[in-house]
Amino acid sequence: MNARNRIATAALLLVVASATLVNLRLAAQGARPPDIAGEWRLDSAEDPGQPPLADYLGLALNEAGRLRADTTPESIWGTPEYQCRPHSAPHQWRGVGGARILKDLDPISREIVGYRVQFMRSLDRPIFVDGRPHPPAWAPHSWSGFSTGEWIGHTLKVTTTHLKDGYLKRGGPQTSDMLTMTEFITRHDDTLSIVQVVDDPIYLDEPYVLSITYTYDPNAGPPTENCSGSSFAENGGRDRHWVPHFLPGQNSGIGEFLKTQTWIPLEPVRGGVKTIYPEYRAVLNGAAKVDSLTVPVSRSANDIAKRIADQSPRDGQVHVLPIQGNIYMLVADGTNITASVGRDGIAVVNAGSAQMSDKVLAALNDLARSAVGAPTANTCFGANCPGIPSWSSPYFNTVVASPRPARPIRYVINTSAAPEHVGGNEKLAGSANFRRAGGAAGFGGAARDLGTTATIVAHEGVLAAMSTPSGKTPAAPERAWPVDTFFDEFHKLSEYVNGEPVILYHAKAANTDADSFVFFRHSEVIAAGDLFSTISYPRIDTAKGGSIQGVIDGLNHILDLSVAEYRSQGGTWIVPGQGRLSDTADVASYRNMLVMIRDRIRDLKRKGMTLDQVKAARPTLDFDGRYGSSTGAWTTNMFIEAIYRSL
Amino acid sequence: MRKVLLIAAAAALTASTTLAHHSFGATYEVSKSIKLEGAIVQFVYRNPHSFVHVEAPDPSGASQRWAVEWGGTSQLEQAGVKRDSLKVGDKVIINGRPSRVPGEYRVLMVNLTRPSDGFTWGRNAAEVVD
Repeated sequence: MNARNRIATAALLLVVASATLVNLRLAAQGARPPDIAGEWRLDSAEDPGQPPLADYLGLALNEAGRLRADTTPESIWGTPEYQCRPHSAPHQWRGVGGARILKDLDPISREIVGYRVQFMRSLDRPIFVDGRPHPPAWAPHSWSGFSTGEWIGHTLKVTTTHLKDGYLKRGGPQTSDMLTMTEFITRHDDTLSIVQVVDDPIYLDEPYVLSITYTYDPNAGPPTENCSGSSFAENGGRDRHWVPHFLPGQNSGIGEFLKTQTWIPLEPVRGGVKTIYPEYRAVLNGAAKVDSLTVPVSRSANDIAKRIADQSPRDGQVHVLPIQGNIYMLVADGTNITASVGRDGIAVVNAGSAQMSDKVLAALNDLARSAVGAPTANTCFGANCPGIPSWSSPYFNTVVASPRPARPIRYVINTSAAPEHVGGNEKLAGSANFRRAGGAAGFGGAARDLGTTATIVAHEGVLAAMSTPSGKTPAAPERAWPVDTFFDEFHKLSEYVNGEPVILYHAKAANTDADSFVFFRHSEVIAAGDLFSTISYPRIDTAKGGSIQGVIDGLNHILDLSVAEYRSQGGTWIVPGQGRLSDTADVASYRNMLVMIRDRIRDLKRKGMTLDQVKAARPTLDFDGRYGSSTGAWTTNMFIEAIYRSL
Repeated sequence: MRKVLLIAAAAALTASTTLAHHSFGATYEVSKSIKLEGAIVQFVYRNPHSFVHVEAPDPSGASQRWAVEWGGTSQLEQAGVKRDSLKVGDKVIINGRPSRVPGEYRVLMVNLTRPSDGFTWGRNAAEVVD
């Protein structure tokens, strides 16, 4: 165990021992937990947050974590989507500026129901102590994450999930969005000690433990670093989609600081769990090689594969997540459906698989009834109430007792011809009985089954794919085909739907040649289709006209249309084809990854490598733990091959 | 063990914290220099760092839009640099440190000169971007 870990372990033991002693005393006295609210001055962090570039000493980086650190430059901060992001959650406690802890009280009982922590470059970080559970895995992630607290005697144990990806330390080491953080916050008189356990198995072979000490100081509240970043890119040039990164081996910072400190060997500076335990002395003494060492690794208890899969569970159920305005996300057995539900009826983006149609329909009808058809109490009395003929009572009360039925599905929009998106077309569209202008005899409905089915809208490539047999796969039933198609860069629905414009944008040569994403322009929600997934690399079918550049262009287009609410988070919400609800920073992170992988494979291909040689070079290594797969319908090797062939 | 401790201590000693939202040494090749001669197209006077955007040729002679990172408003104010000290169209000569990332038009300001009136910044020891 190296010095840093020894100190961290000692700190943790101290916290536990101290907490245990105090617990006994508190239990005997029936005392309340200590007050941690106030202004706190940073005294010392066991491990500074900004080491020299490419100094990974003391970090249990795995192979992926090391490559990711080596290839991620600091100027990633200069991209438009990241200019205003707060410090990464693991860095906040040791960032300069102090900390402010506020109490949130129940106004009636005056019980503490939560805390909010503020740092200089942060959003307010809520810590709920009211017993609420953590959100489902398909809920969005944020820079502060979702924290719950539990007093264990003298110590507040804080558990944080739903964090965005970020960095473990400055100077390279990154964290994935699978990171969880556990903090033990203990007050000893005017000293606040925080022991932080950062658990990110994607990039670390064991959790990273850190202790930080603060002193109570009423005058030490953190200044606010407002972000006044403008939309220009800090990185210069004219390409607003520029993604700075180093190709493997290109980072000039590796080993740079050792030029003036030649007595420090490079190997432990590159990180790795075997370099941080006392057993490493044998390597320093020349008695062993690092690979031969056996160290008592404290592996993460996080089941990462399950946690990723939980973002898009294949459980045969439909899970509903309200997003913004009229828009809802339905997580339907491994695929997402975006639904606009309102007084005009329902518009869905994608229909889910055929076998899920009944459950999707039931969920949509429940939503429509609760969101639109639910009875509401009378708020107007007399003879002149809007919407009520004559006197309000008892007319209104009888209406309340028998509200109008919810409106049916009017539009089914497909972002591609993938079975998990169009499989439910026939059933969902056929469920509609939406009559306009006198029903079947009227004008304005779709050409087929005029006025009695929902209109299916898609790029014409979707119609071509669904209406043409492919190999042993027959054409889809005609009633599932799109009837309102477009060939241009975009297509606007001809009327507002639930009070807003709905626009389809074609993503040229992306996953296939027929992909679109859909923008609900007032609700600020984009259904990204298969351009974006939080559980896998994007599927690219080169035989059907797909390409890596098309996917990147599509994601850039989504970023161009999106606006973060504040500090590079929230604002425009993006529903991925699969996975958790996301925002601009999440899409930017995914785009950045694809640019890095594209450039690596292009570089290897230019060097004359064959496809097999490129695969052997593992150009996706640092992202495979998060998005890759060695089994199933879309493997990492298939992804690499698709990129190789489309470049 | 002693050596491991020494390594950890060395890492701690060489580390630093800063108010900046990124590290200069990590962002720029501080041992290399780059010279830009061109016209200001944008001056963003802000925190945590100001930026001067300059239209100037790259080594191949092609005109590029360079983002030159400068001090925050407090630091610049102390040196007498105000929001209106530089104007769009001003011809300037800038010496700086290039980005570590190949192909990036980003520079850390070392010094700036405006030949038309002799305005300079970065010519004395206190004028270093922090």
